[in-house]
Amino acid sequence: MLDSFNQTPFLHGVITIGAFLLLAIGLIGAMSKKNLFKIFLSLSIAEASLFLYFIGMHFEVGKDAPIVTEKVTEFGVNMVDPVPQAMILTTIVIAIAVLALSLSFVVNYFKLTGNLDIDKMNELGEES
Amino acid sequence: MNPKREIRVQTIVVSLLVSIMTILLLGILLSFQPLSGSLGSELLAINQTTTQSANAVTSVVTYFRGLDTLGEVTILFLSIFGIGLGIERLQEKENIFSYDNALLKIGADILFPLIILFGFYIIIHGHLSPGGGFQGGVVIASAFLLMFLAKNNELKLNHKITTLVEALSGAGFVLVGILGLLLVDRFLGNFLPLGTLGKLWSGGVIPLIYIFVGLKVSAEISTLVEYFIRIKDAR
Repeated sequence: MLDSFNQTPFLHGVITIGAFLLLAIGLIGAMSKKNLFKIFLSLSIAEASLFLYFIGMHFEVGKDAPIVTEKVTEFGVNMVDPVPQAMILTTIVIAIAVLALSLSFVVNYFKLTGNLDIDKMNELGEES
Repeated sequence: MNPKREIRVQTIVVSLLVSIMTILLLGILLSFQPLSGSLGSELLAINQTTTQSANAVTSVVTYFRGLDTLGEVTILFLSIFGIGLGIERLQEKENIFSYDNALLKIGADILFPLIILFGFYIIIHGHLSPGGGFQGGVVIASAFLLMFLAKNNELKLNHKITTLVEALSGAGFVLVGILGLLLVDRFLGNFLPLGTLGKLWSGGVIPLIYIFVGLKVSAEISTLVEYFIRIKDAR
């Protein structure tokens, strides 16, 4: 009974739907919230869905992490693909850099205007 | 037609479009199959003879795609540089997270060297076990975050030291790459003896590159933490 859940296509489906729900949560937050801070954090949640999907879709049942240990003694076919994990490591660092820069812009904006509500921003002129 | 009815039609059209897009995207995502026998299996096959590093992810990050990592570190540096341009006169700012907690103050003194040691352990063993420069650098930065929370305004980072560590480790990364270009065939090539798989002294230039990356990331993220925690104007 439980073996039918421990199959690669089933797990890929679960990971896909979970990543899609996380993406939907992030996008809905970014579109519906009015606070600038919450918008950037919602975009960060949407990015996390990408990491989950990319890593999860390259997982297969019965394969190990691409690291030689006492149990797995040589590199070969019994390991998952190391390239997506390396790419996602790069992506996470870039996501942190972009999030930090955008949040520092939010802090500076709040210091200048005392406002974080995107409906009340009118520094570029009133809406005609 | 009254305006109330107009809004309702718009809402129906938008929700229909969103649901069609959702179904299409889910269909595409669910039918996706990763290719087998691609770049990853090639790299796994040649990993032992070219790098002797026990962690294949580390050898992909620092050796096979080392130029990528150099660009990534540069992006992190540029981001910290942009934040530093926006926030001026950091030494006169006040810490906004001031906890007057005896447990935190005493525990931080005990935990600080242990967390630093653990961060360096993760950096140095990046080619043997899960972890590496980025992860260990963030662990070291978390030790500084703990100290910022415990010592309210007394602890200030010496920005000469952090800038020096950051600059020297970035220059070291590029220097290793240029040495690879001069001594062997290509940029970031391996010019050190490979050693045996699973020992600490193995992997050629991979541990050297990851130590430079770890020092650079720890200095940058510590500076970042200080920028965001010391934000209030002192009066």
